[in-house]
Order: sequence, then C-alpha cells, then structure tokens
Amino acid sequence: MWRKSKPYLLLLPAAAAIILLFFGGIFDGLLKSFGYFPAIGQTELNLAAYDRLLSSDAFWKSLTLTLRIAALSSLLSAIIGALVAIALFFLNDAMKTTSPKVWHRLFQLPLTIPHLVTGYIIVLLFMQSGFVSRILAAIGWIDDIADFPVLVNDTFGWGIIFTYAWKEAPFVALMLYPVLSRIHGSWREVSRVFGAGNWQFIREVVMPVMMPAWMVATFIIFVFTFSAFEVPYLLGVTYPSVLPVYSYQLYTSGTLADRPEALAVNMILAAITILLGLVAYYFSKRWNVLKGWG
Amino acid sequence: MKKHPRFLSLFLFIGVFIFVIVPFVPLILTSLSFGWRWPDVVPQAWSLRAWEYVVNDGRTWQAVGISLWIALIVTAINIVLAVPAANALMRYRVRGRWLFEAIIFAPIIIPPFISVMGIHLTFLRLGLTETVLGVVLAHIAPTLPYMFRAVMISYQTLSTDWEDQARMLGAGAMPRFFHVVLPHLLPGILAGASLSVLISLSQYLITFIIGAGQVVTLPILLFPFISGGDPGIASAYSLLYAVIAILALIIMDAALKRYYQMNKASQNQSKGVKP
Repeated sequence: MWRKSKPYLLLLPAAAAIILLFFGGIFDGLLKSFGYFPAIGQTELNLAAYDRLLSSDAFWKSLTLTLRIAALSSLLSAIIGALVAIALFFLNDAMKTTSPKVWHRLFQLPLTIPHLVTGYIIVLLFMQSGFVSRILAAIGWIDDIADFPVLVNDTFGWGIIFTYAWKEAPFVALMLYPVLSRIHGSWREVSRVFGAGNWQFIREVVMPVMMPAWMVATFIIFVFTFSAFEVPYLLGVTYPSVLPVYSYQLYTSGTLADRPEALAVNMILAAITILLGLVAYYFSKRWNVLKGWG
Repeated sequence: MKKHPRFLSLFLFIGVFIFVIVPFVPLILTSLSFGWRWPDVVPQAWSLRAWEYVVNDGRTWQAVGISLWIALIVTAINIVLAVPAANALMRYRVRGRWLFEAIIFAPIIIPPFISVMGIHLTFLRLGLTETVLGVVLAHIAPTLPYMFRAVMISYQTLSTDWEDQARMLGAGAMPRFFHVVLPHLLPGILAGASLSVLISLSQYLITFIIGAGQVVTLPILLFPFISGGDPGIASAYSLLYAVIAILALIIMDAALKRYYQMNKASQNQSKGVKP
C-alpha cells in the first residue's frame, strides 16, 4: 500500500499548494464573477457581469488593444532575436574560440532587468523630452520638443511594444541559438560546393532549421505580453487600457458592483491564455523544438 | 571571405552595444544630473542629491531587506515542495501524470494576478492581507513551476543505481538523500532558486493587492517615483533595483561554479590525479 501511494504522497504538497493558492483563487474569482458574494447576502449565480461586459464598448476596445500590442511586441522581439541569433551563429562559425560567450552574457542582461525598470528606461529614452529626442535635436532633425512623436503613454502602445522588444528579443535569441548551433560546419561547406552564397545558405538551411523554435518562442512571448500587467500599467493610457489593466481599474474603482465585472474580465483572460497555452504546447510537442534546450 | 567575419563582428558589436548598453545611459545620467533641460544631450550640472536621498532614506534598505527576505522564504518553500514532487514524477509510475504536470505548470500560462484578485477577499477574511506571510503565499504559485522544472531536469540524470549502492553499503534513507541525492540535485536547485528569486523580486501587482501598501518591497517603493515622480530619485531607485536583481543572480551563479570546482577537485583527489 505504501509503495503504491508513495509517489502520490510525494506529489501531494506541491500539487496541494498550487491547487489551494492558485486554482482556489481562480475558482473564488469565478464564483464572484457570477455575482456570488455571501458577505453582502448575494448567493445566487447569474451572468449579469458577463452580459454588461460583452455589451460594453470599453471591453472590446481593450481586447483589440491587447491583441495588437501582444502581436506587435512578439513580432518585433522575434525579428530582432532571430537577427541576433543568426549573427551570433555566423560569428561563432567564423572565430570558433573567441567572444561568443561574452556576447551571450551581454545579451542576457535585459533578461535580468525587472520589467518596471525596463519600462522606466523606455520612458527616459522615448518620452518627448527624452534621450532620443535630445539626440535628434542635437543633430538638427527636430527643433522643438513637440516635433518628437508621443511614444510613451500613447494610445497606440508604442512604449509598451518597445519595452517588450528590448526585454524579450534576447529571450528569442537564447532559445534559437542552441538550435542553430546544431547546424554542422560541414553543411556550410556543402552549400558552398553547390554554389550557395551566405544569403542563400540562410534562406535554405538556417531558416528552416530554426523555424519551429522561432514560432514557439514568438508564441510564448505573445501569451506573456497578452496577460502582463506592470508594463502597460506604467506606459499605457487610462483609456483604452489592456485587459489586465482594465480589470485592475474595474477592481479598484471603489464600487463593489464593478468587482464581478473585473473578475469576469479575468476569467475571459484566463480562458484565452489557457487556449493559447494548449496551442503552444501542441505545436512544441509536435515539432519537438525544445530538444536540447533547458 | 576573410574580411567578412570582422565586418560582421564589428556590426554586431555596434548593434548589441546600442541595443543593450545605450538604454542605460539616460538612466545613469538622470540619477546624477541636476535640472537636466531638454536640448542638452549631457547634463550641464551634476549632483548626488538623488543618490543621497535613496541611500539615506531608511525605507530603501527596509524595502531591500523585505524583498530579499520574501524571495528567500518563497525559494525555501519551493525547494521543499518541488524536490519530492519532481522525485515522484521522474522515478515512479504515476497515474494521471499529465494532470499533475498540468496543475504544477499552470501558473506559467495563466497570469497569477487572476488568482490573486479572486482570493483577495478570502485572504482579507483570514487576516493574511497586509502581512509578509500573505505576500509569500501569493508568490509561491508564480515561482514554483520554475523550481519544479529545474529539479526535474536534475533528476533525469540521477540513476537509482547510486542510491541502491549506498543502500547496499548500509546507508539509511536520510543519509542516502543527503549524501547521494541532494549533491546531485544541487546545481538544478540553484538554477531554480535563481529564477525563483528573480521572479519573486519582480512581482508588483500581486504584492500590491495582498500587501495593500503595508508590505513595501522594492517594486512597491519604486512605482510612485517612476510613474510621474522625481526623475532623479526614480532613476536611482531603478538602478538600485536592477543591481540587486543582477547581484542575486551573480551570487547564485558563483555558488554554482564554486560547487562544480569543489566537485572536480574532490573527484580528482579520489582518482589520485593532481589538479
């Protein structure tokens, strides 16, 4: 009996912690999103909060904004990350022994910087009186603060997108690099024998090899940026706001009536992330991309 | 063809330099400047005012202490939870294995603030809000999956033969765990601990909801400054926060390297080879 139940007993503390602290909280939120507040005598379940939410303009605007920011952030980080990974690969190929390790370390730096600090770095760089604007003024491209576009706390979300690109591009590069390093030097020789230049080698060999890992890395960033709070809270505008910020605004608006709506936003967010997570999991399993990584 | 790598390496160097290093320049300059007006690329006047404020304010070091304290407790709890769970999943036939994995890895996909907002009123009733314990409990879900994954990877390379041999030599369960299993898991645990500490240090929203402004960690202290406060002080706090995160990582990394060196030395000794 002991032998049979032993693994389950070993799993119990970790599973119980997550079930109680995490799923318990989600379930608690789910009940309250259905209007279940025993503290104020409401014990009937209803869909009023979802009704109000789905018919409100603010929710749909928020959803579109969230999707757009997540899509652009993940795409931008994916492109920068891929370029760096390919450059590192060629560099490594060319000078076997020297610097790639230093590059790696340097490129990992953004990963260790907390999100709020990254956000503030972007504020100082891209606000209208920021560092980039000062440099442009110094070289004579703009004459006035107002000539510099509003890129921070703007309605489009550029500041948020830049922050994520800076922070997540290294993540993409670090996920791609091990995959690329499995390309043998001899493949390059062979491609040269067949008359392929560098560009053709990238297009015909490097790109197909890194594609699966690249897609999954991009997808992971999409899911993360879709549901992250700190950066849009710091760099966004009050209206329209991304879904996590919208939920927080509703939650802290002061009236208890808005709370079920806030929790309803959360449940919709959770449902979308679970769906996206399952898609990512399916593809990563199918393509076996994470082999040799982690 | 020989010219190519050098050109590429120079190009990459400039690119990475602009991308990674230059963004820190305004942060550092702002923390050291005095009334840095718009068209000036470099401040006209310098001042240590912001740093004096940050270093002399008692709240700063209190926040550093509380942040690290919470991160350490969270990490310790994660180790205690993750090691047995990883052991069970890697070494036993577990029915519903996918379910356990799905449960433990779920907080990576579903953002933890959703759960925290839901559990908030329950924590309030239990008296856990505004307490360090409440914040620690809130930090477990976002960090545990990373620790679990790291320990699981370590278990993959640990054969049961080692423990069987120790058992044959008469070692009980406890000595087997502490002398055979734990040393092998240590690198994985350290890697998991780095992630756990880093993630715990960077939580803002869930600390804010549960701590309700009474548990002041670094991000909580920092936020009012970076969202429209004094730029100099905001920059100094940001740098301090970043340095602490990096230091925590470097210390873990150094511990790992030291461990490997010690291991190597002892192995060489036992083989009778001079290092």
